[in-house]
Amino acid sequence: MGARRKAWIVACFLLPNFLGFVVFTAGPVVFSLGASLTNWNLQRTTPTRYVGLANYVELSRDDQFWTYLVNTAYFMIGMPFAIAGSLFLAVLLNQRLRFTTTFRTVLYVPAFTSGVALMILWKALYNPDFGPINAVIEAVLRTIGLGGLEAPQWLLSTRNLFGLDVERLGVVREQFGLGARDALIFMGIWTGVGGGNMLLYLAALSNVPSELTEAAALDGASRWECFRNVTWPQLSPTTFFIVVMSYIGGLQGGFEQARVMTAGGPAGTTTTLAYYIYTKAFEEFQIGYASAVAWVLFGVIFVVTVLNWRFGNRETNLL
Amino acid sequence: MRVFFVAVLALMLVWTVVMGRLGGESVDPGRTPLVWTSDDNPLRKEQVALFNRLHPDLNLTLDPANQGMEKVIVQSIGGVGPDLFDCRDANQLSAYVKAGIALDVTDELRGMGIDVLGETWPAMRSVAVHEGRVYGVPTNIGANALWVNQDLLPRGVVLPSGAWTWSEFIALAQRVTRRDQSGRVVQAGLLFDWYNWPHFLYGFGGRVFSSDGTRCVIDSAEAVQAVSLMQDLVYRYKVTPSPVEEAGMAGQGGWGAGNINLFGAKRGVFALGGRWWLANLRKFDGLRLGVVESPHGTRREFGAVGRATLVNANGPRRTEALRFLSYLASPEYNGLVNDQADGICAFARYAQGDAFEHNPSYPAEDFNLVWRSVSARAVAPESSPYVNGQLANRLIERQLDLVRIGQKMARDALRDAARDINREIARSLDEDPALRERWEAARGPNR
Repeated sequence: MGARRKAWIVACFLLPNFLGFVVFTAGPVVFSLGASLTNWNLQRTTPTRYVGLANYVELSRDDQFWTYLVNTAYFMIGMPFAIAGSLFLAVLLNQRLRFTTTFRTVLYVPAFTSGVALMILWKALYNPDFGPINAVIEAVLRTIGLGGLEAPQWLLSTRNLFGLDVERLGVVREQFGLGARDALIFMGIWTGVGGGNMLLYLAALSNVPSELTEAAALDGASRWECFRNVTWPQLSPTTFFIVVMSYIGGLQGGFEQARVMTAGGPAGTTTTLAYYIYTKAFEEFQIGYASAVAWVLFGVIFVVTVLNWRFGNRETNLL
Repeated sequence: MRVFFVAVLALMLVWTVVMGRLGGESVDPGRTPLVWTSDDNPLRKEQVALFNRLHPDLNLTLDPANQGMEKVIVQSIGGVGPDLFDCRDANQLSAYVKAGIALDVTDELRGMGIDVLGETWPAMRSVAVHEGRVYGVPTNIGANALWVNQDLLPRGVVLPSGAWTWSEFIALAQRVTRRDQSGRVVQAGLLFDWYNWPHFLYGFGGRVFSSDGTRCVIDSAEAVQAVSLMQDLVYRYKVTPSPVEEAGMAGQGGWGAGNINLFGAKRGVFALGGRWWLANLRKFDGLRLGVVESPHGTRREFGAVGRATLVNANGPRRTEALRFLSYLASPEYNGLVNDQADGICAFARYAQGDAFEHNPSYPAEDFNLVWRSVSARAVAPESSPYVNGQLANRLIERQLDLVRIGQKMARDALRDAARDINREIARSLDEDPALRERWEAARGPNR
C-alpha cells in the first residue's frame, strides 16, 4: 500500500471525529470569541453590532463579576483538604486489611451517586433547625458550656470564614461566621475526598515498588519517614495531575450547587463565574457579555494551569 | 476481538431500528402536524387533547423541551422552530417581535371576531400586545388572593367578603399564629413567597419603573412601605415564618418544601397565592378551603402572572396555527382552564355564570367569584424598554434576599436596587444612540 493511499485511509477514519470536533467544539468556541466582541442580546433591546473590547472593559468595572470571581476562588479553599483527604483514604485503603474492597466501594459512593441527589441530601443535613449537623454542633456547644451560641444558618446565611462583605469587595466584622459559602465548601470536600482522586492515589500507591519502602525500613526509617521520603515523591506525578485538574474543575465549578441548592443566593454569595455566565446568557440573554465572561474565565484557567506547569512540576519526577 | 466489535455494531443497528419504530408518535398522513412549545405541565396535555378532538384534521403535539426563549428564537430564525410558542411577559414579547418571529395577528384575529384588547383581563394584555399590534392570545391569568384553611380558623371569625387592609389582617393573623415552647412556628398566620414582591408593591401604589419607563422608582416611599411590610410580617408581627423557620417547617414530617405543600399540610392558616394552587391542593385530603381577597395597602391592586401563545412568523403552517389561537378564545378551552384551575381563563366573559361560580365537579369550591374580582384588579408585571427585565429583577431580588434574612432595611435595599437599575439604564443608553433619543423624547425637554 502506497504512503499516499495509506494517508487517505487514515484521513477517512479520522474525518468523522474531526468533523464532529470542528462543528460541535472548535466552531462554537471560536464563535463565542466572536460573540464576546459584540453586544449580542437575544432580547434585541439594541441592534447587534461589533463593539470591540467593550464587553471586557465593562467587565473590568462590573462589581458583580469581581464578587463572583472572589466567590469562585473562595470555593477552592476546600481543594487542598479534599486532596489531602483522598490521599489519606487511599493510604488507608492500600493496607492489607479485611473488607478493603468493601471499604473502597463504599468510599467511592459519592463519585457515582447523582450529584443532584447528593445536593438535596446535603440541603436537608444543613437544615438550621432540624438538620443533623446543627444538632451535633448544638450538642457540642452545650457540652463545652457555650450553649448560648447560635449554630450556623448555613445555606440561609451570607456569613463566611473570612468575613467577606456581601455587596462589595472587602471584609466586615458582621460577616464573620459560617454560612452558605462554607456549607458548599464542606460538601465539596466530602465529595472530593472519596471520589476519583482517591482512586488515582490508590492506583499510584499500588505502583510504588515495595522494595523501596522495605529497603528504607531496613535502614531504620520510621513509617512516617518511609511515607515522607519514599512514597510521597513517588506519588508526585499523580498529585501534580490531581492539583491541575482540581484547579480547572474548581474554577469551572459551582454551577450545579448554585442551581440546585441556593439559586446563587443568599444575595449572590454562592454565585460563581460559571453560574454568572449561565445567568447572563440564558436568563438575561446577554450572549455577548456572557461570552466575554466565559473567555476571561478561560484566561484565568489558562494562566493558573501554566503557572502550575511552570512551578508545580519541579517537584514531580514525571517531566 | 473483531467479532466482538462487529457484534456490538450489529446490535446497535438493530437497537436503532427498534427504537426508531417504537419511538415518536405516528402521525396520520391525513392530519396536519402542529407543534406547541409550552411548559411541561400535566394540565397542558388535556388542553392539547381537547384541541385535537375539536380539530380532527390537525395533530397538535407539545414540545416542552424547547421552550427556552433563546431556543425559540434561534430555532424559529433557522426555520425549524415550533408553530406556536408561549410568551410570559412584555420583555419576551418585545424580543420575539424584534427577532421577527412573532406573527402580527391583529387583522387575522379581528377577522375571527377575537378582541384581545376588549375581552381579556387588562393585566394580561401586555403579554400579547406590543406597540398597539396584537401578536398572540392570552391563555390564562394567575392573580393572587388569600387562601384560607377554614379548619384552622377560630370559631366566630368572620372573614371579609371584599376589601380589607393589611392592618386588619395582621391582627387576625397574630391571633391564629401558633408557636411551640421553644418559639418555633408550628402554624403560620400567613405563608407567602418572596417572589410575590410585586403583589405587595402594587398594593401600596408602588411601581418598579416610572410611567414613561425611563427610570427605576423602586426606592419610592410607597415601595419602601410595601417591602417594609413584607419584612415586618416576618420579624415584627411574626405571623410569617422566617427563612430559617420555613426551612424547619419544610424539614419536619416530610411535607416537602414550598408554601403550597405547607399550606396543604395545614401549617398555615392563610397563604398568598393564585388559583393555580388548586391543581395541587385538590390532591390533599381533608382540606376545607376558602379564598378571600388579599389585604391591600393604599390601593386595591394585586399581582398576577399569565401567558399568551404566539404564532411563529417563519412557520410553514401559520394558517393552521391561527386555528389554535381561535381555540384559545373558545368557550371549550376557557371552560377547561377554569375546570383544571390553570389560573382562570383569560377571556373575562367565560369567568362568570353559574357554571363558573358553582362548578358541579367541585361543589366545595364556592370561591370562584373572588378570583374573578382579583383578576379584574390585577396589575401586569412591569417592563421598561431601556433595561433588560430579567437583569432588573435579579438586581431587585438580590437586595430583597438581604431584607428577607433580616440583614438590610427595606429603605436601604430598595435605594441600592434603584441605583443599580438606573445605572443599567444609563449603560443601555450609552450603548445605543437610538435608544437614547427615544429615552430623551420620553423624558421630555423639561425633566
